[in-house]
Amino acid sequence: MKFTKALPCALGGLSLATAAVLFAPGVGIMAADHLDPPARTDPSVDDTPDRAADIADIFAWHTDTSVILALTFSGPQATDMPATYDPDVLYSINVSNAAPRTTTDIPIRFRFGTGAMDQYGISVTGLPGVTGAIEGSVETTLEKDGVKVRAGLFDDPFFFDLQGFRDTSNTGTLSFDSDRDFFAGQNLTAVVIEIPKDRIDTGALVDVWGATARLGGQL
Amino acid sequence: MTSKNQLTLRRLAMATSLIACLGSLSACFDGDDDFVAMPSPSPTPTPTPTPTSYDVQACLDQTIPGTGVTVAQAVVPDTLTLDLSASSGFPNGRKLADPVIDVTLAVIFLDLSVNGPATLAGLPLNPPANDVAFRDTFPYLAPPQGSPPLADSSGTMFTFRSNPESDYVRVDRMGMPAVSTALIPSDRKNAYNDANPAQDADGDFVPDLADTLTGLTNALADDLIDAGLTPCATPA
Repeated sequence: MKFTKALPCALGGLSLATAAVLFAPGVGIMAADHLDPPARTDPSVDDTPDRAADIADIFAWHTDTSVILALTFSGPQATDMPATYDPDVLYSINVSNAAPRTTTDIPIRFRFGTGAMDQYGISVTGLPGVTGAIEGSVETTLEKDGVKVRAGLFDDPFFFDLQGFRDTSNTGTLSFDSDRDFFAGQNLTAVVIEIPKDRIDTGALVDVWGATARLGGQL
Repeated sequence: MTSKNQLTLRRLAMATSLIACLGSLSACFDGDDDFVAMPSPSPTPTPTPTPTSYDVQACLDQTIPGTGVTVAQAVVPDTLTLDLSASSGFPNGRKLADPVIDVTLAVIFLDLSVNGPATLAGLPLNPPANDVAFRDTFPYLAPPQGSPPLADSSGTMFTFRSNPESDYVRVDRMGMPAVSTALIPSDRKNAYNDANPAQDADGDFVPDLADTLTGLTNALADDLIDAGLTPCATPA
């Protein structure tokens, strides 16, 4: 097993050298989408950051029978903080499954609503094969017409040495550490949707993108 | 200086000799899987200077294995693209456990016919996995860590906004991970997040993406070449 032992050793040098150049001062900071755009969502830049509307990540994958979509937002945050269910934010997951790839053929939209005391609900519209909306409580798996929805507080699924890149960018001193995960031990809010694959599969490529918008204008 | 940083710097100091192994792996090991002393170097010719200016068009035009789309098509428009007839996993869609940043860096910097998309993830450049395990079944994401307050889930009656979409103003958008954060200049980020894939496809942000990618490539190409990897960019 000489090869498998040698290759990581050799490439270990590359990882460090690469990081030092990539994240030189002024180049910028790489993350998934957390705190972007900074002028609207990053508290270090914006006095009124819109955490609720700050997309962290979007995921889309398929199995033999399903397409799973997940939008994460309002994170990362400490593990003693609650989820964010802002009724004034409109969340969009756009799906294109026919040419052109830039048009939204399946416009999935969700909003949060308020109930009694510490109760919050979610309403999801535009789901293929679902009559009307799927509505119900957060922190509960909702299912209607073969589609599952769950909104709630989760672990932040992104893993990345953001702190190392920030340190390198700010100081010019190499601080990269592949054993360090800035997003470890942090949570965020997310909505996960599972849809039968045959309701999306037309034989064409499928394109997915997410968006958020605030009622009445940005904060 | 922390012990972690000291260790990192020691590793960096070893990088040159270790990278040298990459071009000739068999010279680094004997049959017992142990490092051996490198043979005395023979006289080496004067190295050819590495170009400092690159053309990234070849990077944008190369096809990402397993997806049927080129790098340019993967980034423009800025969407996650799924071929439902092929195996799932970034860049064919995006699963929770995919090492998306390392794969993205490989796809935009390396000649994929020589170094596959998983090359940098194999280092790994970043943490290779989430700190807690994902669930195998719906909702797949891991439960929240710690003991945060969770909303009361017993409610059945809720009040939702019913305003039309036109009453809302865009804040954020996302398709491919790290495209907006890493490849769009700061002064264009608001415009980029206000736009839609149709504007991406019209080429509104192609000059921004190309300029940033060119700058990064000019800075990185020598490191990639020194490590025995093959950049997709060509000398300008």
